[in-house]
Amino acid sequence: MVIEVQGLSKTYRIADKEPGLLGTFNHFFNRKTYDLKAVNEVSFVIKQGEIVGFLGANGAGKTTTLKMLCGLIYPSAGFISVAGYLPQRRQVPFLKQITLVMGQKQQLIWDLPPLDSLMVNAAVYGIREPEARNRITELADMLEIGEELTRPVRKLSLGQRMKAELLAALLHRPTVLFLDEPTLGLDVNAQAKVRSFLAEYNRRTGATILLTSHYMTDITTLCSRVLLIHQGQLFHDGGLDALTERLSPYRQVRLELNKLASKSDFLGYGKLESLNGRSVCLLVERKNLTSIVSRLLSNFDIFDFEVTDPPIDELIGSLFQKGTL
Amino acid sequence: MRVAGLSPQVIKALFSTQYANMLEYRAEIALWALSGVLPFIMLTLWSQHDGGNSLAYQGSDLSRYFLSAFLVRQFSVVWVVFSFEEDALFGRLSPYILQPLHPLWRYVASHLAEQVTRFPFAFGIALIFFLLNPASFWLPSFWQLLLAWLATFFSFTIGFLLQSLIASLCFWNERASALERLLFVPYLFLSGLLAPLIAFPSDVLKFANWTPFPYLIDFPARVLAGLPVDILSGFLSQLFWIFCLLPAVLILWRLGVRRYTAMGA
Amino acid sequence: MCGATQLWELEMGRYLTTMRLFWSNAFGVLLEYQFNFLIEFFAMLASLIGSIFILSLFFVEGQSLGGWSWEAALVVQGFYTLLDGVTNTWLRPNLGAIVNYVREGTLDFVLLKPIDSQFWVSVRTLAPTGIPEIALGIVLILWAASKAGAEFSFGVLFVTSMMLLVSCIILYSLWFLIAATTIWFVKTWNATEVLRALLAAGRFPVVAYPPILRIIFTVLLPIAFLTTVPAEVILGQSATYTLLLGWLLALIAFFLSRIFWNFALSFYTSASS
Repeated sequence: MVIEVQGLSKTYRIADKEPGLLGTFNHFFNRKTYDLKAVNEVSFVIKQGEIVGFLGANGAGKTTTLKMLCGLIYPSAGFISVAGYLPQRRQVPFLKQITLVMGQKQQLIWDLPPLDSLMVNAAVYGIREPEARNRITELADMLEIGEELTRPVRKLSLGQRMKAELLAALLHRPTVLFLDEPTLGLDVNAQAKVRSFLAEYNRRTGATILLTSHYMTDITTLCSRVLLIHQGQLFHDGGLDALTERLSPYRQVRLELNKLASKSDFLGYGKLESLNGRSVCLLVERKNLTSIVSRLLSNFDIFDFEVTDPPIDELIGSLFQKGTL
Repeated sequence: MRVAGLSPQVIKALFSTQYANMLEYRAEIALWALSGVLPFIMLTLWSQHDGGNSLAYQGSDLSRYFLSAFLVRQFSVVWVVFSFEEDALFGRLSPYILQPLHPLWRYVASHLAEQVTRFPFAFGIALIFFLLNPASFWLPSFWQLLLAWLATFFSFTIGFLLQSLIASLCFWNERASALERLLFVPYLFLSGLLAPLIAFPSDVLKFANWTPFPYLIDFPARVLAGLPVDILSGFLSQLFWIFCLLPAVLILWRLGVRRYTAMGA
Repeated sequence: MCGATQLWELEMGRYLTTMRLFWSNAFGVLLEYQFNFLIEFFAMLASLIGSIFILSLFFVEGQSLGGWSWEAALVVQGFYTLLDGVTNTWLRPNLGAIVNYVREGTLDFVLLKPIDSQFWVSVRTLAPTGIPEIALGIVLILWAASKAGAEFSFGVLFVTSMMLLVSCIILYSLWFLIAATTIWFVKTWNATEVLRALLAAGRFPVVAYPPILRIIFTVLLPIAFLTTVPAEVILGQSATYTLLLGWLLALIAFFLSRIFWNFALSFYTSASS
């Protein structure tokens, strides 16, 4: 087990303050606080080489958990082991095993070419210069960047900058990667590049990857397994399909009829979502799917026919929006 | 009815939002007020110095001068070039330029709002000063106060125009705020913040009087402290500098905006 | 035993290489903005002339400043210039950036590096624009001290540089203590401006101040050890116990800064979100 988490909790003490000078004054003498459980009794294990997607609405506790896994935040309760270490001790051998990439924050020096920042990282991680150059060439090939490395960071596009950030974060060959929104703000092409790079890196090195993203495509293309955290609790741990099934026990059946039909014709076939001339959309429970489909086929004159899952990003999106399950 | 893009409504809106904004930064402003202690350090040195006579101010006059210098400095601090540079860097400038209001008014409003926020802290420091040094206590007359306020306001205006001149240069070179250092150094030594100008050798004094700096601290401070001063020539000099600088700032600004829009930034 | 020494040497090498790269990068950044270098240089020169002019006001009609002669006071001014150069070159660019690390959240990256975080934030960059100021400070010290009749024996120069080291450590610790508070109060960056204003008191020999301030400047805010004591050493007027006291203070200040940083970090890591 590369990552092992048991009963992990994080509680913040939040102080309530009224706005304004009077509020500050009251706050000073008569402090009212309450405890907020950002992460509550979360447990999971991740095996070596897995790519796991970490999902949750803003404020669900994703980033807090990720930072506890890196050792940036001390847990209030519970046990974490990453690559055999206790993260919060931040021992040197542990730090050399992991990396953290944050899509909205950057570590490269703004006014200098990325190469300079890379050489600093090499020194910090104790990598000798020839070796560092080899690794840079290798990673740059995989990322498809080259001359950008010798151009000042401030003159790079967001996509080029992200690639350079990834290079800087992976120079020490970490075996555990924590990625927080690595594709944030990138255009579709750049997103696809980052995704294929991560898949390739995982294939070549067998590194374990835990990533959060708001773009469902990142999750669906990369992750065989997702952790969904909701209001601090682990709501789902497993495959994407299983998650879809849990979030929505229905499938969509779309029909294109040869003749016009009326609403009443579809009684007893599941929930009628829309009826528009000859196009019909039904929501059918998974367990009745086969029987209903065969009845539809025998009872109606059907021109075209399609069964789909409701799109996962819509499902999760609506989950995030509602804030409840 | 708008004058230079201003109407009562605009003034009210600008000032009240800037004031609310400044209140959020009150801790910073308190510290900033405290960082103006330099005149007090100089005061302890001068009053300890056996040659305090050579300054021509003695005892409580000396204390009053430096306290006044401190207060004048508090209400004439200018930082327009720094906020301008930040706005230019973060791309906030373009929407400002598109608005039917000269962008400099925005900075004027934030400076005035900051001065109001700063007032209680400066007042508190003056109070502590009098507690430690009761002999130097004085109450200026109403007219003295009014004149001192006017002189301080003109001092702020000159400082603001001088820095705006440098801020306009940011249209050509985004690092132009470094030029502010070249303005600050003579200000520090020639304004009277560190020593009353009366203590300067006559040649240096003559030279200083040709620059705008003595009218930024020394003149208003002397008015406030009730020390002998040529009020008429002081005000005339302040107005002279304002009338020289104002057109220069407006022209340079307009050229800068033209260049800025031509560059398509 | 042998393994331990080797490991230590390896670690030292890692830290030194890192620092060398940081500083060569800083020069790289500078070359991007040569314009600033020129301006800084003129501003610094003007500032030194101004300071000396203000100092000269205390010496009209053959008076002295707290018993210090004009030349001796110039030595103090020289040490102040030197330390101001150190502040501008080293302290301000590095410690002033801590607030940015906190505000932008990039402190996370620093904490995840296998390297001491105080080391990282303290040597991350250099602003070479302050180097001429350091050079000018040294020139002023040597010139004024020789005018004041100082003898530059090897011993004097050695002890002087030791005391200069003490003042740098104290200066660093004071700056670091203030800068570290930005972990809690992102907005109190101005606190360093207050410190700067107070440190300006070091332009003059500490005996020129009233007795209460003298005590404050020696014990509470050890400005005396920044400029006055090194000046006394090079002028051959210092007592041994002040030197020992200086070292003691420097060590205390440095360890305080370390303890305080770790304390601030434990706060950061347990509270940040």
